[in-house]
Amino acid sequence: LGEDALLPSPQNISILSTNMRHFLTWSPVTIQGETVRYSVEFQGEYEREYANESWIPICECSLITATVCNITEDISATVAYNLRVRADIGARRSQWGTLKGFFNRITTSLTPPPMKVIADGYHLLVELKDMGPAFQFCVLYWKKEPYWLMQWKMVKDVSSTVHLDTMEAGHDYCVKAQTYVETINRSSSFSQTQCVRAQGGRSL
Amino acid sequence: RILMSVTEIRSGFTAIKANIQARDPIRTLSILSHPQSLHKVKSSDRCCIIHNLFNFYMDKVFKHCQTEDSYINRKISSIANSFLSIKKKLEQCHNQNKCLCGQESTEKFKQILANYEGLNITSAAIKSLGELDILLDWMEKSR
Repeated sequence: LGEDALLPSPQNISILSTNMRHFLTWSPVTIQGETVRYSVEFQGEYEREYANESWIPICECSLITATVCNITEDISATVAYNLRVRADIGARRSQWGTLKGFFNRITTSLTPPPMKVIADGYHLLVELKDMGPAFQFCVLYWKKEPYWLMQWKMVKDVSSTVHLDTMEAGHDYCVKAQTYVETINRSSSFSQTQCVRAQGGRSL
Repeated sequence: RILMSVTEIRSGFTAIKANIQARDPIRTLSILSHPQSLHKVKSSDRCCIIHNLFNFYMDKVFKHCQTEDSYINRKISSIANSFLSIKKKLEQCHNQNKCLCGQESTEKFKQILANYEGLNITSAAIKSLGELDILLDWMEKSR
């Protein structure tokens, strides 16, 4: 590659990581009238300590025109990862632009889970969205009055509606939930509380 | 949390198991199970065997399993990095002397190394990687 072949390397390389889904993004390299393509590589702690600091290409993000790459599948351990991007136009190639600092999935931001509470006759049910195999849900529920005996249930399988309790006729019950990711030992904040009323009138 | 990492290792391994085992032409030999299965190891020796085996895979196996297939290499990287995160947790036990090695586990690990050194490095590494489910099954069964 000749001297004039050098392209500027991608800048503003950063990670967007939410709910254990991780994306590498960068600013586009703009060359008038040219289509710039990008390639991404990663390096885990294992590669740094045991494999001569080798880098591994992500083939889904080789010579792409987008300025974002889904790296979720490759960030699959709770260790520190390095990431880098370079630009290509035909035979012209940039130096690697490298993410400033490491990325560890333990820093992912966890959002409260979407949740739907249902009163099915006397049954208190909750529907939770499947957020992937890494996620469990801690569900808190309580009868509103006369006393607040709070109970909780750890839910792993959300493929079907979860039965929480059998309610007393005419009483209000409230529910809130948070996610828990065991591999990084962190939880989200709680969702908004949702309350429903059991059918029937209250016994005096 | 070690168990969750083992689950992640298993899903990574399952994705490449058939490919890796197809690269191992030697069917009559086992690295981990010859002459005795891991299941014969006493529970008191379990931590030591796991600690030694994790070092074995980190030092002698993963780095010699490079293939021409980028997908396979990425999965091996995932497994190796998960091994590293578990190894660091095991190190804490080892440093607090909660991972003592008895006579039996020392002998068992010597046998594994002898099985490994009986083959050329690449064949031994690929065979060891192909036997990863033996290690994972034993770790999960003897929790």
